[in-house]
Amino acid sequence: MTTEELDPLIHVPTRLKIVATLATLPAGDALSFTRLQDMIGLTPGNLIIHLRKLEEAGYLASEKNRNGTAPKTTVALTDRGRKALDSYTKALRDLLGGL
Amino acid sequence: MNHTPDNETLTGNESPLDPQAAAALLDQTTQQARRKFQPNPPMLNLFRAFVMLVAFGGLWLSVLGQHPYTGPKPWAIGVCYGLVAIVIAWSTRALRRSGAGVSGPAQRARNIGMGVLLTGWVLVYVWEAAFYKTGAHIVYGIYPATAPFFIIGLAAAAWAAGRSDWPLTVTCLGMAIVGAFAALTGPVYCWLVVGIGLCLAMAGNAVYGFMQQRRSVVRS
Repeated sequence: MTTEELDPLIHVPTRLKIVATLATLPAGDALSFTRLQDMIGLTPGNLIIHLRKLEEAGYLASEKNRNGTAPKTTVALTDRGRKALDSYTKALRDLLGGL
Repeated sequence: MNHTPDNETLTGNESPLDPQAAAALLDQTTQQARRKFQPNPPMLNLFRAFVMLVAFGGLWLSVLGQHPYTGPKPWAIGVCYGLVAIVIAWSTRALRRSGAGVSGPAQRARNIGMGVLLTGWVLVYVWEAAFYKTGAHIVYGIYPATAPFFIIGLAAAAWAAGRSDWPLTVTCLGMAIVGAFAALTGPVYCWLVVGIGLCLAMAGNAVYGFMQQRRSVVRS
């Protein structure tokens, strides 16, 4: 097993933090963009770029709701994203066991 | 605050991690998220355990040696209500903070479930008032010490089991068992038994919570 076999989309610090944070929520639950930004500690611009990458891969689903005056964006890990993180964790475990 | 993405992030291509660093980051992030989304923090459960022991211990001391039995003294009831008010305030704050920005079916189910349990808790005391109105003397003895924990403990255990929350199921079932068995010890000692029993149940849940928060994702 080599590091090349780790999902390159998750195997970068910021996206690993995003996916790991969202995976802590029960399946189907979503997190507001502002709370995620607060937890990850990124600027909105940086966070959007990483979220877009994950969404394009089908790991994330985002939704824009207009409650009152300000639009509110929420993001949730999809089943595909959860499976990807499970596979990534397993691959990491195997890799560390072999080191 | 800098709102402009850095060059590395603009392409979304950060430097990959080495496996040890990735495992450490995954564990650290997961443990941090578990703490932040936890509506029942272990520290709060530890405080609840302390409150149970002090509040019910005080009620027991106030009825100890009463002949005839007249019920807990106002000072003990005051201490109990004061501590319960602190627990309610801390619990409400923890619930709000953990649920901030979270939406979805599990969150909705949790809120509805908690609303039903709170209503049930109030109804148990309404029922007690009915006993009081009919002149049942036991109202200041066994019933208030044991019934809320027996009835609400069972309801909460069923709710937690439905959500596959096994640690909470065990804790709530423990509450119900303590409530049921404490009733057998009579109107004086039931306060002490409930205090010790609930303290142990809450402390056990707190210890399990601390262990779960520190559990490794990679090395489990």
